[in-house]
Amino acid sequence: MSEELVNVSDLNQHAYCPRRYWYLHFYDTQGRNYERIEGKTKHENQSERGNWLNELYLESERLGLKGKIDVLDLENGRTVPVERKRAESGDYYKSDEVQLAGYCMLLEDHLDEPVRQGAIYLYETDQRMHVPITEDHRETVREQIDAMQSMTVDSIPPFTDNPKKCEACSAREYCLPEETARLEPKKVRGTGWEGRI
Amino acid sequence: MKPPEGMFDESVIYVTRQGAQVQVDGGRIVVWDVDGDEGELASFPIEKLDTINVFGGVNFSTPFVARANEHGIVLNYFTQHGKYRGSFVPEKNTIAEVRRAQYDLSRDEELAIAQQMIAGKIRNARTLLSRKGVRGTDVLKDLGVRAESDTTKDDLRGTEGEAAERYFHLLDETLVDGWTFEKRTKRPPEDHINSLLSLTYVFMKNEVLSALRQYNLDPFLGVLHADRHGRPSLALDLQEEFRPIFCDAFVVRLVNRGVIDHEDFRKDNRLSDDAFKIYLEKFENYMNEELTHPHFEYTVTRRKAVRQQAILLRKAITDELEMYHSLTFTK
Ligand code: SF4
Repeated sequence: MSEELVNVSDLNQHAYCPRRYWYLHFYDTQGRNYERIEGKTKHENQSERGNWLNELYLESERLGLKGKIDVLDLENGRTVPVERKRAESGDYYKSDEVQLAGYCMLLEDHLDEPVRQGAIYLYETDQRMHVPITEDHRETVREQIDAMQSMTVDSIPPFTDNPKKCEACSAREYCLPEETARLEPKKVRGTGWEGRI
Repeated sequence: MKPPEGMFDESVIYVTRQGAQVQVDGGRIVVWDVDGDEGELASFPIEKLDTINVFGGVNFSTPFVARANEHGIVLNYFTQHGKYRGSFVPEKNTIAEVRRAQYDLSRDEELAIAQQMIAGKIRNARTLLSRKGVRGTDVLKDLGVRAESDTTKDDLRGTEGEAAERYFHLLDETLVDGWTFEKRTKRPPEDHINSLLSLTYVFMKNEVLSALRQYNLDPFLGVLHADRHGRPSLALDLQEEFRPIFCDAFVVRLVNRGVIDHEDFRKDNRLSDDAFKIYLEKFENYMNEELTHPHFEYTVTRRKAVRQQAILLRKAITDELEMYHSLTFTK
């Protein structure tokens, strides 16, 4: 199978809103190339200090995933991937958990032993939160990968069903959900934007 | 409605100071007085800019050009008097999917987009005239309807030509005493009004070019204007709807408010150096002036409104929207 490997960080984009990932994937190829190159060079420079590891790049054909783990903690013989986040609200999103689950699964594949826990570190509050990875998380990751691999440029994902998400979405000035609802109400049928105008 | 945040603020800058050099300093673009001794003239955060227009003897440092390329910043070169000379377009400017969709447009799809642009232009022409209390625009109304039902591009061009003739004929009535508009002349503009119109169309064309490039559309592949080597046909197409309501309205304002006077022109109908500086400043203010968006009802600058049209055009081309929606003002 020659299906493209899905980037773990894109799991987050897709989980947040499939349309957002669609824009990123099909309409911003440059940004993605950049990310790929960066992932590689950082991997080559990976450093090992004390009991934690920086910048570990992994790929798995079996899972259909690839990605770079920011920080890997070695706590009493257990490996815990840590995802660092900027979160002004002081909390993380559900989609961040999905991303973390992706890293845990990649690591599992690599180490050949179970990884049941990850951590999210929030810059703003200097907080580290442990997140147990459940079977639900794993199932979500597998579903996302499936959906992402079968996405095509001609099948445009609908707007999100939760317009609140648009407020914090960097794609908004291009996506224009509310404006679309005004100009072509038909296009927002069945989404969270229906009837909001 | 609330506008999406952080859009295109300060995205275009103009550098007119002769002998200045544009450089980078960390994350900022700095305009430096290298010939004189004034040092730093201005500085801007690099990630906010997408276009830099320079006039005459202004140059760039090599690290700056590399950075411009990296950040997708377009550089437009003009002579000191505003004649366009060329552009530097960063390489990251193509996205295959957008170009594919643009090349794949059928004749009918192109016609449909062009119809919206021309009908929009005619609508805006009427609106400008009626804002100025000019009567007798019913013919324009009919021509607007005709634009939307024309079945070939040639017919549409014919309708557009007829509407332009009617409109320019009436435009004279919007001007204060001392100014007249006889007819539109282009190369060269034969009078002061035509000179101001031509200049403003060049500036608006560059606004539109920046907008198209920002959204990765090929500005040389038009939907109505014929593709001719070196001519940014799509920019000319998208510019149509802005001509009356932004360009002509701006020129009318300049002369009616006495900002520009007949004395401000040289023998060849070009603006004098000082008047040109004033013109530039006024144009920049005008593009940054806020208005209530006629369809979305939030406040936007004219520049933002133009850029949003590039987004809507791209969406019509990539099938995210059914049709192109031109920017039209009904009052
Ligand atoms: S603006 Fe809303 S619908 Fe559009 S990509 Fe972002 S979250 Fe999704």
